[in-house]
Amino acid sequence: MKENSLWKDSFGRLIKDKTAMISLIVVVIYTLVALLSAMGLIAADWAKEVGASNLPPSSEHWFGTDIFGRSVFMKVVRGTQIAMSVGVATALISIPIGVFLGAIAGYFGGWVDDCVTWLYTTFSSIPNIMLLISITMILGKGIFAVYIALGATSWVTLSRLIRGEVMKHKEREYVQAAGAIGGGHMRKLFRHILPNVTHIVIINTSLQFQIAIKSEVILSYLGIGVQGEPSWGTMIDDAKLEISRGVWWQLAGATLAMFLVVLAFNLLGDALRDSLDPKLKGK
Amino acid sequence: MTTPLLSVKNLTVDFQTADGITRAVNNVSFDIPAGKTIGIVGESGSGKSVTSLAVMGLLQRPAAKIPQGEILFNGQDLLKFSEAQMREVRGDQIAMIFQEPMTSLNPVFKVGDQIAETLRVHRNMSKKEAWEKAIDLMNRVGIPNPKARAETYPHEMSGGQKQRVMIAMAISCEPKLLIADEPTTALDVTIQKQVLDLLFKLQQEYHMSMMFITHDLGVIGDIADDVVVMYRSNIVEKNNARTIFTGANHPYTRGLLACRPKLGANPKRLLTVADFMNEKGEEIKIDTTKIQVFEKEAALDKPSDILLEVKNLVTQFPIKGGFFNRTVDQFRAVNDVSFKLRKGKTLGLVGESGCGKTTLGRTILRLIEPASGQIFYHGKDITGVYGEELRLLRRKMQIIFQDPYSSLNPRMTIAEILTEPLVIHKVGSGKQERLDMAKELAEKVGLKVAQLNRYPHEFSGGQRQRISIARALMLRPEFVVCDESVSALDVSIQAQVLNLLLDLQDEFGLTYVFISHDLSVVNFIADEVGVMNAGKIIEMDKASRIYKNPKEEYTRMLLSAIPKGESKAPVL
Repeated sequence: MKENSLWKDSFGRLIKDKTAMISLIVVVIYTLVALLSAMGLIAADWAKEVGASNLPPSSEHWFGTDIFGRSVFMKVVRGTQIAMSVGVATALISIPIGVFLGAIAGYFGGWVDDCVTWLYTTFSSIPNIMLLISITMILGKGIFAVYIALGATSWVTLSRLIRGEVMKHKEREYVQAAGAIGGGHMRKLFRHILPNVTHIVIINTSLQFQIAIKSEVILSYLGIGVQGEPSWGTMIDDAKLEISRGVWWQLAGATLAMFLVVLAFNLLGDALRDSLDPKLKGK
Repeated sequence: MTTPLLSVKNLTVDFQTADGITRAVNNVSFDIPAGKTIGIVGESGSGKSVTSLAVMGLLQRPAAKIPQGEILFNGQDLLKFSEAQMREVRGDQIAMIFQEPMTSLNPVFKVGDQIAETLRVHRNMSKKEAWEKAIDLMNRVGIPNPKARAETYPHEMSGGQKQRVMIAMAISCEPKLLIADEPTTALDVTIQKQVLDLLFKLQQEYHMSMMFITHDLGVIGDIADDVVVMYRSNIVEKNNARTIFTGANHPYTRGLLACRPKLGANPKRLLTVADFMNEKGEEIKIDTTKIQVFEKEAALDKPSDILLEVKNLVTQFPIKGGFFNRTVDQFRAVNDVSFKLRKGKTLGLVGESGCGKTTLGRTILRLIEPASGQIFYHGKDITGVYGEELRLLRRKMQIIFQDPYSSLNPRMTIAEILTEPLVIHKVGSGKQERLDMAKELAEKVGLKVAQLNRYPHEFSGGQRQRISIARALMLRPEFVVCDESVSALDVSIQAQVLNLLLDLQDEFGLTYVFISHDLSVVNFIADEVGVMNAGKIIEMDKASRIYKNPKEEYTRMLLSAIPKGESKAPVL
């Protein structure tokens, strides 16, 4: 018996897309590296001196060593853990807020909508980096502040998208039909409308993920992000002094690692948008 | 005999899809002589639109392939033309009108500019010349005050006017061949008649040939000289229009003619294509008991319980305006409507789009709140009922929507859709019992039980409408509002669904309010008919009386607009 849900169809389209699959593999590798590093299985001894100071890349030290003789490769791996954790934490904070506020604003309209709209226009009227800086200033420096700061700012886009989509779907006849058979607001919103807008969450998350990673790098570069741990941002920050002395490998390592994952997430986001396109079949 | 203007010879079109090659058009041949109109009739998916797109050179490449055939236009094979050559032909020699006037005009340009654009491309006219010609064309297609209307944007026009603009664009270069793809399907009957008359007049005036594509044989009776009937990618019958309407050869053609309800005759059930031929396309004998004409019982004269009574119902919508988006006025969509409906009977509500019939239906179900007036259901006023009591009421009153595509949640299986009402109202003891109930009803509406774990997008329009009907009946309601429930369907499918609704009414003793813009459909299904205009019921009577002796001018106009389903072509 053939059973073709729209999700299955989308997945079928996605696995035929080579770019998407390669991007997905890259993302999976990054995730594994981050997980293994977090469990202490790899790069746990990143702080150990492995050779002389500022050794260029070689077969022994792939990305060379830094000023203290630590392996740059290990630092990149450790940085991956930070970067991925920032992405995940941002998503975990921003998705519930964004989906909830967007959904109730779009569904109920009226004063609820006015409040939510006021909230996110206020948020988006403040330059993002200023907001991030002020939040980290209040919460103190450190990775936890970065999570909160990014989570608190990145729900805005998602919320706006969800609101619009919910507004569109609530007028559809299938939602009215749910009302006609006696379904209440909660059923209409959560059982009927939300499953039809979930694809937006997925697409948006894959694009927000890399924005979060980049923001963490920027914050750490500015010195208000991660402290005492290697992150791609702090590595690039270190490199600005080294580069004039011809030590380019720390910058290259961090940039390459960031470039690959950001590109992968971007391509994956585009592919997801193509395959999850909400244009319903048969229409 | 002179060479025809367009001659399609052995045309075959294949589509490459994920599941392999599908043949959309199979070895089709027909001619369109100069100055004549050919009607191409068939249901959705029969290949009629693909044929017209092939003539226009608008098939999606590379998905579409033409393994064989010729399309000779003035003796030249269009299939051998390059894209650049085709562009010169398109819009100039061959023009096309599409089904959906709402989406085929560009919303950001003035309509005058859109008409002028074609002229500037093909006739190298100056901006001023083209604009003046555009106004002249708008005048010709019957748009009042064309000078001012040319300055307006598409959203400021009604559907019928937009279709007139489309026609003006199509005839702007005086094409030799006009292809009209379901140009009136999206329009009200009255507008449909005007557009058909206009097309006929223009065709005579410009001595054009016309290829008129439709799913409804009734529509083309008035304008076609010859008719080509397509069924499952093949031409099953080619004949002149008079012969088609009086003595069609192929059982499919006869089925198409029979499935359209006719005014004045009230058979028990409508004949469908399935009554004329079996699955293999072989002719079968008609079961004549089905077509027995009967006089509808005098519903009003017979005492039976009044199920629903509406008294002075008013529904209004706020008109927003001003600086703070305040409510500046109220628009009365339903204006002081009263009627009574007896148990087991059907009330038909007819009227043009915007007359308030849909709002009335939804107000009765309390999906929209009335502003004033009362709705008595079983003698109890339900306008003040809320919460749990309203939820219980929903079990008894149901609605079947118009659009079979948007009325089913695309992310739920059919089984989930059908069992949801049971879950909400806690009917049945468990999942399995509910599923069994869904299966039982699915079979009653003609769905296969094996299809229940599929998703809506895997079904055709007619099947989806059956699913909607099944969902509405899951809670065994007594009262159902059918809101344009067959309007989006092909005539042949429409007849099946109408028969189904009647069968279900007999079996479950249902009471219907049947809302439609199509008078012939309402006449077939309803015992009583209310004609609506501008929010009011202007005339209400037994169905047969309304059709025989309409009292209001408006009703007479609606009646005269219905296609007669016969040819006015002269006997040869």
